[in-house]
Amino acid sequence: MSDGNAIKTTALTKKFGDFTAVDALEINVRKGSIFGFLGPNGSGKSTAIRMLAGLLTPTSGQATVNGFDVVKDSEAVKQSIGYMSQSFALYKDLSVLENLDFFGGVYGLKGAHLEERKQAVIDLVGIHPYLERRAGLLSGGWRQRLALAAAIIHEPELLFLDEPTAGIDPVARRDLWDLLFRLAAEGKTLFVTTHYMDEAERCDDIAYIYLSKLMVKGSPIELKALPEVSPEGTRRVAVAAHRPALALAALRQAKFVHDATLVESEVHLVVDASTSDGSVVDFAKKAGIEDPAIRPIEPSLEDVFVALTRGLAKV
Amino acid sequence: MKPNLFNGFWAVTVKEFKHLLRDKGSVGLAIMLPIFQVVMYGYAIDFDVRHITTVLVDYDHSRESREYVARLHATQYLDFDRKADNEAEAVQMLRANTARVAVVIPPDFSRNVLAGKRAQVGVLVDGSDSQVSFRARTAFLGVQAGSDPPALSLSNVDVRTNVLFNPTSKTSTFMIPGLIGLILQIVLVSLTSGSIVREREQGSLEQLMVSPVGKYGLIFGKLFPFMVLAIGQMTLVLGLGYFLFDVTVAGNLALLYACTFPFVLASLSLGLFISAVAQNQAQAAQLSTFAFLPAILISGFIFPRETMPGFLQLVSLALPLTHELNVLRGIVVRGAGLAELWPSVLAMWVIAGLLLAAASAKFQKSIA
Repeated sequence: MSDGNAIKTTALTKKFGDFTAVDALEINVRKGSIFGFLGPNGSGKSTAIRMLAGLLTPTSGQATVNGFDVVKDSEAVKQSIGYMSQSFALYKDLSVLENLDFFGGVYGLKGAHLEERKQAVIDLVGIHPYLERRAGLLSGGWRQRLALAAAIIHEPELLFLDEPTAGIDPVARRDLWDLLFRLAAEGKTLFVTTHYMDEAERCDDIAYIYLSKLMVKGSPIELKALPEVSPEGTRRVAVAAHRPALALAALRQAKFVHDATLVESEVHLVVDASTSDGSVVDFAKKAGIEDPAIRPIEPSLEDVFVALTRGLAKV
Repeated sequence: MKPNLFNGFWAVTVKEFKHLLRDKGSVGLAIMLPIFQVVMYGYAIDFDVRHITTVLVDYDHSRESREYVARLHATQYLDFDRKADNEAEAVQMLRANTARVAVVIPPDFSRNVLAGKRAQVGVLVDGSDSQVSFRARTAFLGVQAGSDPPALSLSNVDVRTNVLFNPTSKTSTFMIPGLIGLILQIVLVSLTSGSIVREREQGSLEQLMVSPVGKYGLIFGKLFPFMVLAIGQMTLVLGLGYFLFDVTVAGNLALLYACTFPFVLASLSLGLFISAVAQNQAQAAQLSTFAFLPAILISGFIFPRETMPGFLQLVSLALPLTHELNVLRGIVVRGAGLAELWPSVLAMWVIAGLLLAAASAKFQKSIA
């Protein structure tokens, strides 16, 4: 039963009338890994998660979660997974402790075991100072910590995190990821959706879903090496300049530039492989850019997804 | 692993109690509404009531007695829909609320009329509805004042009226039991109708659905605190009625609570149904207000159902409040028991069952 996969799907499909929301999805999620499930809004991510969590019945295909079939054994699936959604889904008029009591109770924990588990999740997320505070009065970061605590109170093997860091500040985001890494280190499997590319970089494996179909899957390194991302006969360079916006506008005029975009204070370019660094710098100088500095770069995950999505949109 | 449909019942119950007690609006509604309504309706106005269901006990069987009944009928206040062989049978019909007024014509009626003597007629009136008893008496006055055909002095009939069950025809005795039903419906429907929508709006419904909480664990866990609330409200209204208007329960108090249970269940299921249908909390509030209108207008709460067109009377049978009013007024005012009231209680169980089935089916769909 346990073949090292926390999730395994075979041609998993969901149709709503004529609309196919998820089309023959095939993914394997290794036990203990952090799996990034990416794609634009409306691409079918949520529908896929809802099927994996036993909320929706697949139209066709199969999926096992922690070795349990999501259709035949949905109760066993529910007991073995945790779920944390992007919107704060706990009760705002109940205190932190009361929320934990409730979710513990729903998962059948009671007595000493419940107290022990409550203490464990409180220790993990460090919410000691706010135990009596109503959840509605917590800040965004603390709410997400509480949501995480509630999602793991029953010690699930696998945790679904649907845009867990949407709308919280950078410090809270980093703190939350530190917690997620600790859970991963304990051997939990994490299934994460996000639009933040720096978060995607932290995943062991990534699946990219677009218009209901799985487009690519693999580790971040594998994805960056995909031929579609850097078309044959091109290479990537970054040009640093004092006024990057001006440099961007100028370099877009060059015939050898296929694509240009601003990343932080640099202009990232896809140029003909035959174009040397020197000719890029010369072009920039002629266009009035002061002291341009150039270096070759690897595509980032953002480059990967922009290239893939644009390439697909043209088809 | 078999799904346990009742899983999580206690956890949900405890949580719902906390929501309820923490929501100042709900607590205010639950306490203030009964007080306000009791004081307001305690001094209600009389309305013109016609077509009161009347049972005839005619010991005389004469042309004159039939003529007298025809004249009473012509006033439009009384409809002689039923007949009984004797007074005991007629009283039983009044108690069971299958008739509101009984007219008893003694065997010597035609003999006295033809002899030009003053004939007597006995009238029994159900006083549990003060308007009915008032209007019934009007009918007899109307006949007294009418002109007689020659050789028939029917206007000289001596009407002996006997008001059963609420001899002083106090409006409050009629209104207070009805208020229990109305208040329970308003409070229970509006509080439950918000509950599932609120969970959906705040996203916690999804969180619950990925947990092993059972369908019935969730539904009954949500309903149970309101059942406790319902008992409290009923006691509050009965208490107010007793201390402010001297309204006492003529029948069995325990039976009153027991027979009201299916009504409570029906109201809660209606609220739950609204909750599963509505898109947001505002819509849920509108829908539950919409549900009160027919309840107030055609259940017999203010206007006796006898005055309504036949089709509305049929519609009113689908409303749990119609049956609950019969139970409440039956037990509180007329001292009726299960022997007379079982059809109403059964009707409420059927309605409650249907509503609950509809609510849980709709609920199932609304989460997917």
